[in-house]
Amino acid sequence: MAEKKERYQNRIELLQGTLDLLILQTLQWGPQHGYGISVAIRNRSGELLQVDTGSLYPALHRLEKQKWIKAEWRISENKQRAKFYQLTAAGKKQLTKERSKWSQLSDAIAGVLQPEK
Amino acid sequence: MSFWRWKRRETELDKEVRCHLEMAARERAERGEKKEEAERAARREFGNVELVKEVTREVWGWRWLRDFVQDVRYGLRMLRKSPGFAAVAVLTLALGIGANTAIFSLIDVVLLRPLPVRDSEHVVLLKWRAHNGPSFQSYSSFGYCHIDQDGTEREGCSFSYPFFEQLRSQAWIFSNVTAFAGSPGLHLVRGGNRIKVSSPLVSGEFFQTLDVRVVLGRTLQPSDDVPSAAPVTLLSYGYWQNEFGGDRSILGKTLYLDHIPVTIVGVAEPNFSDLIPGQTSDMWLPLTLYSRVKPDWSGRGLDDNAMGWLTIVGRLKPGVSLAQAQTAVSLFFRNEMLHGAKPLSKEADDPRISLLPVQKGIVGNRWLYEKPFYILMIAVSMVLLIACSNVGGLMLARTASRQKEIAVRLALGAGRARVMRQLLTESILLAVTGGAIGVFLAYWSLAALRSSDWLGPIHDFAVKPDARILGFTVLVAVLAGIIPGLAPAFRGTRVDLTPTLKEGAPTLPNISQHGRRLNLGSALVVAQIMLSMLVLAGAGLLVRTLVNLKSIDPGFDTRNLLLIGIDLKENEYSEQQAQNLYRELQSRFSSLPGVTNVSYSSSVLLSGSLWSGDTSLERQKERVTRNMLAVGPGFFETMRIPIVAGRGFAAADFESTHKTTIVNRAFVRRYLENRSPLGLHLGGSGSKEDPGEEIIGVAGDAKYDDLKKGIEPTTYIPFKRGGGNFELRTAATPESLIPAVRSIISQLDSHLPSPDLKTQTEQINRSLFRERLVAHLSSFFGLLALALACVGLYGLLAYEVTRRTREIGIRTALGAQQGDVLRIVVGQGLALAALGAALGIAVAAGVTRYIQSFLYGVRPTDPGTFAGVGIVLAMVALAACYLPARRAMKVDPMVALRYE
Repeated sequence: MAEKKERYQNRIELLQGTLDLLILQTLQWGPQHGYGISVAIRNRSGELLQVDTGSLYPALHRLEKQKWIKAEWRISENKQRAKFYQLTAAGKKQLTKERSKWSQLSDAIAGVLQPEK
Repeated sequence: MSFWRWKRRETELDKEVRCHLEMAARERAERGEKKEEAERAARREFGNVELVKEVTREVWGWRWLRDFVQDVRYGLRMLRKSPGFAAVAVLTLALGIGANTAIFSLIDVVLLRPLPVRDSEHVVLLKWRAHNGPSFQSYSSFGYCHIDQDGTEREGCSFSYPFFEQLRSQAWIFSNVTAFAGSPGLHLVRGGNRIKVSSPLVSGEFFQTLDVRVVLGRTLQPSDDVPSAAPVTLLSYGYWQNEFGGDRSILGKTLYLDHIPVTIVGVAEPNFSDLIPGQTSDMWLPLTLYSRVKPDWSGRGLDDNAMGWLTIVGRLKPGVSLAQAQTAVSLFFRNEMLHGAKPLSKEADDPRISLLPVQKGIVGNRWLYEKPFYILMIAVSMVLLIACSNVGGLMLARTASRQKEIAVRLALGAGRARVMRQLLTESILLAVTGGAIGVFLAYWSLAALRSSDWLGPIHDFAVKPDARILGFTVLVAVLAGIIPGLAPAFRGTRVDLTPTLKEGAPTLPNISQHGRRLNLGSALVVAQIMLSMLVLAGAGLLVRTLVNLKSIDPGFDTRNLLLIGIDLKENEYSEQQAQNLYRELQSRFSSLPGVTNVSYSSSVLLSGSLWSGDTSLERQKERVTRNMLAVGPGFFETMRIPIVAGRGFAAADFESTHKTTIVNRAFVRRYLENRSPLGLHLGGSGSKEDPGEEIIGVAGDAKYDDLKKGIEPTTYIPFKRGGGNFELRTAATPESLIPAVRSIISQLDSHLPSPDLKTQTEQINRSLFRERLVAHLSSFFGLLALALACVGLYGLLAYEVTRRTREIGIRTALGAQQGDVLRIVVGQGLALAALGAALGIAVAAGVTRYIQSFLYGVRPTDPGTFAGVGIVLAMVALAACYLPARRAMKVDPMVALRYE
């Protein structure tokens, strides 16, 4: 049990920055519940990114704790009560920051990966 | 709060996850999958639900709390699995903790409770000291302060009214100073009933000095305390509630205290029922009312400086140090004693004043309890130690049998600290449960104790746990949880994983490891026996003391003697009428069936009250000091004190002006070197007109005020005036005459307050309450200690027998007889018991001298007592060994060996 938990934790660490970015980005289009977020990420990535629930939920709760998103129980389109997450003002700022950090990073990585001219 | 928030988060997380699963399943179903398959697939896709929850929860923090709750849950589950162990452990701890809570509650209520005085550190009590006491002509103290009678100097706390007035005029020392006396013994007259009230006389500054406030009306003021003022009173809160139902319209109403009308001006705040904790006053009266109430303690005037009767307490003025105040007050006192209206001291006596903080000075009866309570506290802490090591032993045995479980946990990656915490949580759980039950036990037994007469004068206190007592109990319970849990936690988690996991369940254990653990278990049992031996030895000595005291021959027959106190402080009764009433009562009591003799005397014997003084003896230069007792006709016959020379009192002695007296043998021995005293005179001027008291007889020696004191020179004089107490010698049981006695008294005068009735035996018991309290309670705790220690011994042996079942089986199979098996088990148990007992006696011999001042007629190392408790211990230990031994003898070798 202890071993398995460790594996999950490792993966969270690995994905942390990116997953947070993906979640914040997804929420920019409107409030969404956990399942909705995972579906949205999957669909928009062309089924390439499968978000592990063991990473998604801790990330959601952590972002909530950091007050970048806030949660609310609402009725979904299927007439079901679900916990909807929503960006806060601080979260929007954070998203901008993360986006620019990400583009810097991907530029940097791209630069490194580019065959030498 | 945080717990509930955490709880809510938990359910929300649960819902959130369920929601996720449902949505995923619905989407799959909408895509055409079968419902069950869709659900299964959704679940598969989601992963391990519990694990997801677990890692999500980690984000919250609170891990320690969850671990704690988990530990508690797990602990409860483990305890439920072995209810026998849990019950024994909880009960053991409940007894240990309960006993401590009970005794600590007594100490808290009686000894530690602060005086109900605000800023009491600035309030001081005056105490005089001198080489020879000032020759007050009348001296009364009302039990406010404790006088050390063993010291080389005299001391006291009573002063005269003129001295108080002088101090009051010195405004630079005290911001307020007050003087007060006891209750003058008035009766509240209400609806034809006369009920005695406790109404101390206090000066007008009393409430200001102590900073006591009112809930209604106002306090007494200096202006109320002048002879010309109309009499007023302040009621105590309790009296107001009980007698007047808290009626607020009582203010301004008039009460009749005997013939004196007093107006109620206020009600004091609830926590001030008396200056002395443990006592309650009904109301307070201004000091100057003294001249109108004529209390029974004196017939002197207020301005008499030879009457010491006032306790004085002052609040130091800010900026005045204790030393400065002490010097100043000493100077006044010295001046008053040496050069006052009536000089009472000589220069050489060096009369002076000590100022004591009021918290230390005003002790009332509390000092009586200090030693008994501390002795009992030591006894109960030993009981608790025994209980702890008992539970420690039980847990040790249990951890041994849980070795595999612990090994599994360690192997799966649990930290050693985590497992230790788990084990400690279990033992604290036991202790806290035990503590909760213990509090109930304590309060139940305190209530029982309070309704018995064991507690003596201070028994009227509220039995309720306050914050301090509960804090004490929680502390004790947590300690009682940690201590027994520690050893098993350390031992239990030091496991060599491989062999423990590899081998089958009941194995022949690693010898060296087991040897060590067993030694610890045995050591715990030896310690328990040793401690119980110690408590028992102390209890034995205290019981011997009580027996010795009770078998003291007081010089008169204490059996079948009914004592009747009649309160005649009646202004309607003149001296002569009172004497006539006594004669009439005597003759009516005598005619009761079952009564053989009746007499009366100025005070009850062995009640602590004493009348003594010095006088001159004819043909003797030095003055003689003797105790005096005024006795009615037939006193010596009634008490069965023999007249050994001369004659007893005849009817004429009570009538004539010719004064006669009877002395005891101790008087003759001390002052006359056994020469005949008959015909000699005591007191008087030696002239014809004033010859003094003629000695007409010699009585056998009898104790006067205190059973423990030696016989002192005593003179008996005919009862001619003052208040008296009746003694009835009965053929039947004295109690059976009580209704008849009551009806005779009310027939003679229906206005008399109800009499104080007790037997002489009860009176003796009352005077020995401290010795009875410690003897009874310490023997109870001693037996409890013994029982717990023997449960510990039994537990160890029972565990041993279980562990060695296979060995015993093999031995039996190889031809060992039942007797051999018995010897193995009993031998081991008795060896431990003997070792414990020997250690216990050795320690006892070293420490019992600390209770020496409490012992009477027995040495602290009395071999008889030690041998006696040793025998008791041996018998009980034998019984504790026998039960497991019997089980060992019944081991069937076939079953035992097949067990593998």
